[in-house]
Amino acid sequence: MSNNNKKKKGFFSTVGGWFRRMFVGTKADIDVLAVEAIVSPGKQIVKNFFSRKLAVCALVVLVAMFLLVFIGPYFMPIDLEYINNSQKNASPGLNMMKVPSDMKDQIASISSKGTFTVGLSKDGTVYVWGSTLYDSTGIDFKNIPEAVVNSNIKFAAAGKDHAIAIADDGKIYGWGVKEHGQYGAESSMSEIEFMAPILLGDILENETIDVSNVKSLECGNQVSAIVTNDGKAYIWGNYMTGAKNQKEFKKLDNVDKVVFTNKTAAGLLKDGTVVVGGSGASAFESFDLNGTILTLEEVINGRKAIDIAATDDNIAILLEDGEVLVTGNSLNGENSVPDFGGEKLVKINGGAIHYTGITESGKVYSWGSDLFKQSQVPEDLGSVDNVFVGTYQNYAVTENGELVDTWGLKGYLFGTDNFGRDVLARVINGGKMTMTIGAVAVIVSSILGIIIGCISGYFGGWVDMILMRVTEIFSSIPFLPFALILSAVLRTRSVAEDTRIFMIMVILGLLSWTGLARLVRAQVLAEREKEFVLAAKSMGVKESKIAFKHILPNIISVILVTMTLDFATCMLTESSLSYLGFGVQLPRPTWGNMLDGCNDSKVIQIFWWRWLFPALFLGIATICINIVGDTLRDVMDPKSSAER
Amino acid sequence: MVKYILKRIAYMLLVLVILSFLMYVIYDLIPNDLARQDLEPQKQDLIKQGTYEERYAELRLKYGQDDPLVVRYLRWIGLAKTNDVYKGGNPSSGILLSEGKYDGILQGNLGYSRVKGLEAVDYIREPMANTIKLNVFTTVFTLALTIPLGIFCAVKRGSKRDTAVQMVTIVGYSIPVFITAILFIWLFAVVFPIFPVSGMKTPGSDYVGMRAFLDKLYYMALPSIVMIFTSLGGMTRYVRASMIEALSMDCIRTARAKGLREKVVIYSHAWRNALIPIMTLVIGWFLSVFSGSIMVENIFGLNGVGRVYIQSLTQSDFEVVLALQMFYVSISLVGNLIIDLAYGFADPRIRVDR
Repeated sequence: MSNNNKKKKGFFSTVGGWFRRMFVGTKADIDVLAVEAIVSPGKQIVKNFFSRKLAVCALVVLVAMFLLVFIGPYFMPIDLEYINNSQKNASPGLNMMKVPSDMKDQIASISSKGTFTVGLSKDGTVYVWGSTLYDSTGIDFKNIPEAVVNSNIKFAAAGKDHAIAIADDGKIYGWGVKEHGQYGAESSMSEIEFMAPILLGDILENETIDVSNVKSLECGNQVSAIVTNDGKAYIWGNYMTGAKNQKEFKKLDNVDKVVFTNKTAAGLLKDGTVVVGGSGASAFESFDLNGTILTLEEVINGRKAIDIAATDDNIAILLEDGEVLVTGNSLNGENSVPDFGGEKLVKINGGAIHYTGITESGKVYSWGSDLFKQSQVPEDLGSVDNVFVGTYQNYAVTENGELVDTWGLKGYLFGTDNFGRDVLARVINGGKMTMTIGAVAVIVSSILGIIIGCISGYFGGWVDMILMRVTEIFSSIPFLPFALILSAVLRTRSVAEDTRIFMIMVILGLLSWTGLARLVRAQVLAEREKEFVLAAKSMGVKESKIAFKHILPNIISVILVTMTLDFATCMLTESSLSYLGFGVQLPRPTWGNMLDGCNDSKVIQIFWWRWLFPALFLGIATICINIVGDTLRDVMDPKSSAER
Repeated sequence: MVKYILKRIAYMLLVLVILSFLMYVIYDLIPNDLARQDLEPQKQDLIKQGTYEERYAELRLKYGQDDPLVVRYLRWIGLAKTNDVYKGGNPSSGILLSEGKYDGILQGNLGYSRVKGLEAVDYIREPMANTIKLNVFTTVFTLALTIPLGIFCAVKRGSKRDTAVQMVTIVGYSIPVFITAILFIWLFAVVFPIFPVSGMKTPGSDYVGMRAFLDKLYYMALPSIVMIFTSLGGMTRYVRASMIEALSMDCIRTARAKGLREKVVIYSHAWRNALIPIMTLVIGWFLSVFSGSIMVENIFGLNGVGRVYIQSLTQSDFEVVLALQMFYVSISLVGNLIIDLAYGFADPRIRVDR
């Protein structure tokens, strides 16, 4: 190959050439020394490396992790603004939609408003599934009260933080949180399990209710309601937050159905009119029709309602002519009601942010938010008779109560954090951030270190003197305090978050190049005295070309090892900075700042998934990088491997 | 030798000046109007009296906020006089309110904590004592553990026990201190409630004498254990590496050939040769634990310098930050000096007297 040819090669092919010669060897060698099979040093290194099981394992894990954090975010993007208080601190698992096998073919009812689901089978047994541990209260909904287990339950429903059951002997039981009057005597802390008469007033006789008169039981956000066959609605619980307009129902005596949004109650009367709004709920009384604000009455225009349903923020009214009106805030597209193919709906049900309805022929439609795939009705779902809707789940059942299919949120594999965000998605997206910052910082520091080390080592003299003094100054900068103050300065100067993150990468790189520069300098000093440099010099090759093109390829192995080990260090530094709140800021996740606020004994003990998973990922990544780096160093240095 | 020491000290001072200037420049990047901050609480009153502008100008002059960066830096160091403060901030008014003086670091003024309303020196004093105690305690324990462990691993190189220790140490130095801390809190404060989760002393307690000391020790125990564990990995590996290096020297072969007992070979011949790099490491590491304890102090809520540093940063109490930054830089420079000198003393072959 002529010299001219070489000159035309770009930078990448040159670097590629080093790697090829290092790991594969050149073809030209073989012709001359064909007597013996020649193994290039690079090949030998690769062979040695792969003969070490631990290192290979570490490499495989590392590559898998890289793929996960760099490809994963495309499949699991996160919305930084997303906060969901109803799903906070859900425990890891995919059991939120898993109907217990004992009740699969005899489902009487299923309901949920939060992370746990209460199901009732036709033989009167109550089942609870999902993330049953409620927040830091220590309440586990799986611990169904003894009395409920032993009774034949006729009605059961789940609220956000409480559950209510009515037994066939007329006793009403509650469990879960009760500080806001969800059950028991109002605002009492006492251990009364059945409803005190004060709350249900005249329907209770001897603290029991006439079960044959109960039509339905519905629970909402800290409130519950019983509707009787003779048209009475009894609502109790936290009126301040759960049902601000409960007064509207006191005087009514032809109530057919009561549903709860997050803050209000809505009712369907037997004559086909609806009760929405009232004090504290006036938002539901007006209706926005393509920009013109009408009252709900005007829109209904005398038509009869046949069913109502509610999500967290809005109410859907099914009218007799098949039209579905959605009133209230439709933040998740609940008001874009789909086309039912010429059929009419007969029944609608509401989840937290979606609706599911059944047509006359038993076909099922879901609409609203599709965040957890809760609006994707399975295509092979035939005609069903009923659909129970949980928070983000749908359960299609036949007339006999047999489960046909489910769709919606299965659960969170790694649980959720204190804002209801999926820890798995955050771990994956956070990993991308941590690894990117680590990689960019290493690249910055390596480029600086290599250039300064090469120049200093090759040219020597006063250049070396000055560069080494600069290196010394930089290396005596205390790393963590300095990185902290620089990051704090960035914070006061109101730069965009992306710029800030980039600056952090550069800062980390700028503060950590000194080690590599010294190493490169020492290596260059040793290589400089070798014959091939002398040969190059005598051929009249330019100084800078000798330094970067002849000497540098010979020390690339040392640089590679240092870069690998530095990568782990930079990742650790980034996560330390982020943990202290001076790196990447929340809500943007990194493996470091996900552990923010986790050094609290309650979090450590109860919400172990919040710290364990990010810690595990960070720990495994750095351990693997260090193992790979250490092994590389061992196999590249013939002396150290001979010792073993 | 004396010449060498003097040369090193002079060089160190030069670096200190460069670094302190660099720090001051960084500090200066933070938008910070001291005069406005001072007047903020009484702003309404002063505006009513119509003297706000005047007072503001006076304070600006007092703090020298309009002077060039270099002048302010020299003032902070204590090499330049502060401004004479004239009424209304205007020297031409001729009414001198207070005379300028040298009042910087060289005069012992490290700055003023605006958040705490204390001189920085007084604010830092107690945390500093705590940090030094914690670090000395940790260092002693770590050395007592790592040196024997490292020697053992080097001597039994390649054995199963050595491999096991290598595995543990690689885990030890790969895991960041805050994860170790959370794991240890979980293990020793939650699962087995032996130690308290955080704090400096039993809340509400008023112990004196021995009782107070023991109480403090009880609260310091878990942070110390965490720090010891995190430094165990790197240190053990280093001791092992330098011991292996020493054991492969020719003099060791000679010693063995002479028929010396293995104990003498290891502890007398090899250990002495391994000591030089280890000594460098120990000094360097002892200094790095000062900034390393930033993490531990914050996790465990210990009233140490690191916690003060983070608190001051978050509360924008930047004069304290600057003072502490000086402390960290000085520690690091003194450490480098000691390493250089110790090298010369320990190894006669190193011709430091060039």
